[in-house]
Amino acid sequence: MSSDRSMWPYTFVRPGGFHFEISVPVWLIMQRFQQSEMHMAEAGGVLLGRHLRDGSAIIVDDITTPLSGDRRARVRFFRAQRRHQAIIDEAWRTSNGTCTYLGEWHTHPEPIPTPSAVDWTDWQRRLISDQYSEPIFFVIVGTKHTSAWEGRRDGGIVPLSLIQR
Amino acid sequence: MANVQMQFEQFNDTIRLGRFEENATLREKRDIIRRKLKANLPVVFKKYNEICPEYYFLDQGSYEMDTGTKPLDGDYDIDQGLYFLVSITEWPDPVKLKERVFEALDGHTNRVELRRSCVTVFYSCNDEPLYHVDVAVYSESSMNTDGKSYHAKGKQHSLPENRYWEVSNPQQLSDTIFDKFPGAEDRKQFRRVIRYWKRWKVVNFTAGGASAPNGIGLTLLTYYHFQPRYTDAFANKHNDLRAMRELVEVVLASFQLVYDEDEKAYVERLIVKLPIEPWNDVFDRMTARQMRTLKDKMTVLKDALVYAEGVADTRAACERLQMVFGKDFPVPEKQETASVHPPAITSSGNSA
Repeated sequence: MSSDRSMWPYTFVRPGGFHFEISVPVWLIMQRFQQSEMHMAEAGGVLLGRHLRDGSAIIVDDITTPLSGDRRARVRFFRAQRRHQAIIDEAWRTSNGTCTYLGEWHTHPEPIPTPSAVDWTDWQRRLISDQYSEPIFFVIVGTKHTSAWEGRRDGGIVPLSLIQR
Repeated sequence: MANVQMQFEQFNDTIRLGRFEENATLREKRDIIRRKLKANLPVVFKKYNEICPEYYFLDQGSYEMDTGTKPLDGDYDIDQGLYFLVSITEWPDPVKLKERVFEALDGHTNRVELRRSCVTVFYSCNDEPLYHVDVAVYSESSMNTDGKSYHAKGKQHSLPENRYWEVSNPQQLSDTIFDKFPGAEDRKQFRRVIRYWKRWKVVNFTAGGASAPNGIGLTLLTYYHFQPRYTDAFANKHNDLRAMRELVEVVLASFQLVYDEDEKAYVERLIVKLPIEPWNDVFDRMTARQMRTLKDKMTVLKDALVYAEGVADTRAACERLQMVFGKDFPVPEKQETASVHPPAITSSGNSA
């Protein structure tokens, strides 16, 4: 559609024909943490945004990035609870409950990212233990591609397909 | 994808300028001119030892067709038809008749002009917003042996070949255009789309620039290429974004290569013929350069419409549409577009 890919958000098709969309401003932030160089450590954070009223789509409007208390290595990222949760609470409060927690994102030093065993286990645990509005999403930013999965409380996790522009 | 029908309809409500019957401001401005002509025409004709022919007025143009948009700079463009009960053989020089009309209006404001297609009165009185009234002069159909009405063309000092009576029937044109869409709701969408074009034109072409495509051209492009579009045809829910995007795409594809005498080269032109006599191309006065600008700006418009249709977020779609349609296109606040959720509590996490 357009040669200027950076102008388009990342839009994924969800089960049932609904959409999950990473907005342009958010994508620009994620891009800064892409592990394109050997020395770059893994990064991640939480996804924040809106469930559109008509139910047609869920939009990522903001993310958190590594904060103090998090631990970063080449192929490892630990996100601490407290500071990220404070940002989730603040966003929720100032938006009158409309900007909500939507899931987690992190980077991988591989072109086409796939979840590791650690990722998979952590996602399953989170789906059961955390409190959130269903569904939530897991985004992995690779060095070439970005992928997303949708998870539900029953532990079901499905990959989403990106709309090519 | 993004459903922006509510925002398009809100935009339409903001820019729509109704008909003369609904709008007192328009009526007032029109009636000032009508009164002025009633008072002065007999005097002017008498001065030249002529009998003032009988005449009547007819509303014409976008305010008659209900495709008018509110001007951004207050410059209302009011069209009036002045039909004289004379035949074109009685008044072989149409400019002479226009001169009488000009004289009847001259001095009414600081600026009255006898132009190729009409006599124009410009208002720029102190506090009064700027506006102008175009009075087009006609020879009434019943007076001519062929039963056709004619429009007086040409100005003072025009060469004889540029002074002529041209077959013209604004009412028939209006009927032809709107009869194409018999369904009331489809016709409303058709009118909305014409208004979107017109506001796009005002926002994207510099004011008063001859480079802008004329309103009748945009109206006719819509007449020829518009197809009603719905998100739900059974519930009669229209989809203005899709209708507009498809229309602009078809129009962009209908530019054709034409040899241009001035440029000495083949250039791309939009040819938009009147669907009734005299079947002329209403864009024929645009230069090759103006045509290129038109195509460039239409391409920007198309890209914005494609983008708005392609993104899922209503707000992102509206932000992009506002860039091409101007600030009257509403962008909803994030909160307005989202449902409310209970607070979330998350745990720390490991990834690798």
